[in-house]
Amino acid sequence: MIAAAWICLFAPLGAAIAITLLGQRLMRRGAGYLATTSVGMSFVAALVSFAGLLGDSPDDRSHPSTLWRWLTAGSLHFDLRILVDPLSVFMMLVVAGVGFLIVWYSIGYMDGDDEERRYFAYMALFVFSMLLLVQGGNLLLLLAGWGLVGLSSYLLIGFWHERPSAIAAAKKAFVMNAIGDATMAIALFLLIQRTGSLDFEAVFPRAGSLGGWAANLIALGLLGGAVAKSAQLPLQTWLPDAMEGPTPVSALIHAATMVTAGVYLIVRTHALFEVAPRVEELAAGLGAATLLVAGLIALVQTDIKRVIAYSTMSQIGYMFLGVGVGAYANGMFHLMTHAFFKALLFMAAGIVIHALAGEQDLRKMGGLRRFLPRTYWAFLVGALALAGVPPFAGFFSKDSILAAALAHGWYGQILWVVGMVGAFLTGLYTFRMLFMAFWGEPSAFAREHFHALKRDVVGISLAVPVGVLAVLAAFGGWIQFAGIWTPVSDWLEPVAPALVDASSLQEAASSVIAVVLGIAGIGAAWWIYAARRAEAPRSLPLLERKFYFDELYDALFYRPSVLAARGLLALVERPLVFGSVRGISEAIRSLGSETRTLQTGLVRSYALAIAATVAVVTLVFVVVR
Amino acid sequence: MSGPDVVWYLCVAAFLFCTGALGVLIRRSPLIVLLSLEIMLNGANLALIAFARQSGRQDGQIFALAVMAVAASEVVVGLGLIVAMARRRLDLDVDKLRTLRG
Amino acid sequence: MILAAFSAGNVLVWIVWVVAAFACLGSGIAVVSFSNPFYSALSLIGNLASLAVLYLLLSAEFVAAAQVLVYAGAVMVMFLFVIAYLGGRADAPWAGGPSWQALGAVGASAALLVEVIVVIGLKTSGRLSHSEQIDGFYGRPYEIGRLFLTDHLLAFEITSIVLLIAAVGGVILGSHSRESSVEQ
Repeated sequence: MIAAAWICLFAPLGAAIAITLLGQRLMRRGAGYLATTSVGMSFVAALVSFAGLLGDSPDDRSHPSTLWRWLTAGSLHFDLRILVDPLSVFMMLVVAGVGFLIVWYSIGYMDGDDEERRYFAYMALFVFSMLLLVQGGNLLLLLAGWGLVGLSSYLLIGFWHERPSAIAAAKKAFVMNAIGDATMAIALFLLIQRTGSLDFEAVFPRAGSLGGWAANLIALGLLGGAVAKSAQLPLQTWLPDAMEGPTPVSALIHAATMVTAGVYLIVRTHALFEVAPRVEELAAGLGAATLLVAGLIALVQTDIKRVIAYSTMSQIGYMFLGVGVGAYANGMFHLMTHAFFKALLFMAAGIVIHALAGEQDLRKMGGLRRFLPRTYWAFLVGALALAGVPPFAGFFSKDSILAAALAHGWYGQILWVVGMVGAFLTGLYTFRMLFMAFWGEPSAFAREHFHALKRDVVGISLAVPVGVLAVLAAFGGWIQFAGIWTPVSDWLEPVAPALVDASSLQEAASSVIAVVLGIAGIGAAWWIYAARRAEAPRSLPLLERKFYFDELYDALFYRPSVLAARGLLALVERPLVFGSVRGISEAIRSLGSETRTLQTGLVRSYALAIAATVAVVTLVFVVVR
Repeated sequence: MSGPDVVWYLCVAAFLFCTGALGVLIRRSPLIVLLSLEIMLNGANLALIAFARQSGRQDGQIFALAVMAVAASEVVVGLGLIVAMARRRLDLDVDKLRTLRG
Repeated sequence: MILAAFSAGNVLVWIVWVVAAFACLGSGIAVVSFSNPFYSALSLIGNLASLAVLYLLLSAEFVAAAQVLVYAGAVMVMFLFVIAYLGGRADAPWAGGPSWQALGAVGASAALLVEVIVVIGLKTSGRLSHSEQIDGFYGRPYEIGRLFLTDHLLAFEITSIVLLIAAVGGVILGSHSRESSVEQ
């Protein structure tokens, strides 16, 4: 079991290194097979670990394993150490499983691209980084994985590097993630100072001994990192731009796994959050705000991928809400189901984009139901799961979060209301997208540019993973039914015991109201976009400009930095640094050219110099002696 | 010792040396420069012989003989150079020979 | 000092010394001054001869003989050969007008001369006025030879090597570029 966990971690890294070293000698599609196989191996290894843990008794399921001592600094030491416990195995299964399907899908999606090998090397690197993050046995390895997924995200967003928009988006993502990394680092510094270690087993039991303000600062720092990585308010502006990357990248990194790392972090370090209850509530509040804002913005988006991106932001807001009120298992459950249906939606959208030769604008689509029937059904399953309609996956996970919020007191009740509004918005924007793309008459554009998928390796690799995910999105939620049948909560209980327990009444009420609102949203969407019985209301500039966050950050951070940089260049760098360097070289050069005049080439002047020197030296000797 | 003291010989030697130095510095023909160089060497020789006499030892005379031999060798090489320059139709003017100018 | 040195046997020595010294200095100035190199070379022969007389006055007989044989006999003959070979091209008129370099040269030489004389006069303070007594063997070839082969053997050998090198150099300098000699 432990060996399987190590194999799970290192298999994708091995693939990434192999693809890099083999370079041109490897066929392009071969790189894809190599990457897919390695992630598949990871999934199998994760299953083995899971089976191993199942064999243990529930209280005995935490197995750390150390490879070697990595860093020593005085009395501090950090090991290369993984932890195999219910939470990490849960994440391993999600990451490796969904990752395997998406990397397989990429073989078809990226077929024909010139730089396919680089893509698969980066994807394998990403899977390794994510696994390192979730398997890390101490906060330092978690931070290492954190940084590496940020790097992989940057590399993959900017994959089509000839596009300036892609490069800009990659930089934006990286810089915003770096802010989160910085706050996390500060939190870790404080932890080291207070507890002298970063190992999970050493730090979490001592969470109670942290002082009041230290605990708050640490939790805030960790929250900052989570907010940046998961694209929550106020660090959310990078996620829509990240859609510049290829669609499988959006599916894997920006829907299923990387952006959910923030949720994982909060669940893993819940002990530290529980001693800073205000911060935990702040997390829930941010999640609620995000889900509302993102839902509103998604209503006016015209790019199909951006709608799905905002929906991701919104759903992660739900997860933050869940873990913020202490319903850790519910949050993780929603993470899992969200991975299924969001990856499904992205991949189906990818098939649509591929079939329309790269077009992503919803206004140019229409009536694709006729051209891509199977894709339409997969998309429909994903949309229903997202909207929380039973018996699809989203229903089970989302509603349990809302019920838990209800049980959290007056603050939770406010969040509950926000979550319900969000449910309505979710149904609305999701089906707006579906109706615009698939229903109605085929648009002229669709007719012109459509080309069907062939039944070859490419076609199979595009179709099968989508099919598998459709099944999971449909039936994956049946693992847990709130309050009554809770294998997921029981599984995660030893690691992250839930703080709240919703009563059956709260569960039932939340479920019913959420489903009703969701269907109402679907109905409104149908009214406006499918049946065309009413005109869509004119969209507000506020929504179209994404609540002016980009403009705000531009004015607040970017412009002052540019001004400061320009000022420094003119006042400090040019005169002092360039000037001094140039000055030194000029001085030496002029000294040299003046000395040059001594070399007259005349024997007589040299002889005169000797005679004069002898005269002077003799005088000196005479005087001194 | 009969006759002038060693000091007088030394003064003559100093005068010869400085005259030779002046000739080296002022004249432009390499031949004359070589001749002036000979005068300088002879001035040094005179000083050596005078000191040898003053100390009663012959080491100074040995030195002077060595100087003479070296001066002869130097004249051989110098004259060879002058002849080579003349063969190449170069101007025998020290001021014109300045290709080693920096 | 001068008056005290004057005694009967000394007078002759003094007269010879004065004549030789002035001949030496005069011919030295003449070497430097003449524009015709032939005259300069002849003046140098005169210089060497007067120097030989001075050496004799200093009881350095062997060196005086060597001076006449080597310098006046061999070196000056070489000079005259070359001057004859060069013919008109050997003419060396004075450089046009006094330049700052000439002034500097005069200044340097004058300064050097003054310094040396001052040194001799002031610093030696009487140590040079007393010469050692010498015996009859001083300056004889026997003594010179003995010293060359015992105390100063290294100098002797190195000097011979220098002469060898000069001979080789002379041959090389004289023999290259057959074309240019044919052109003439």
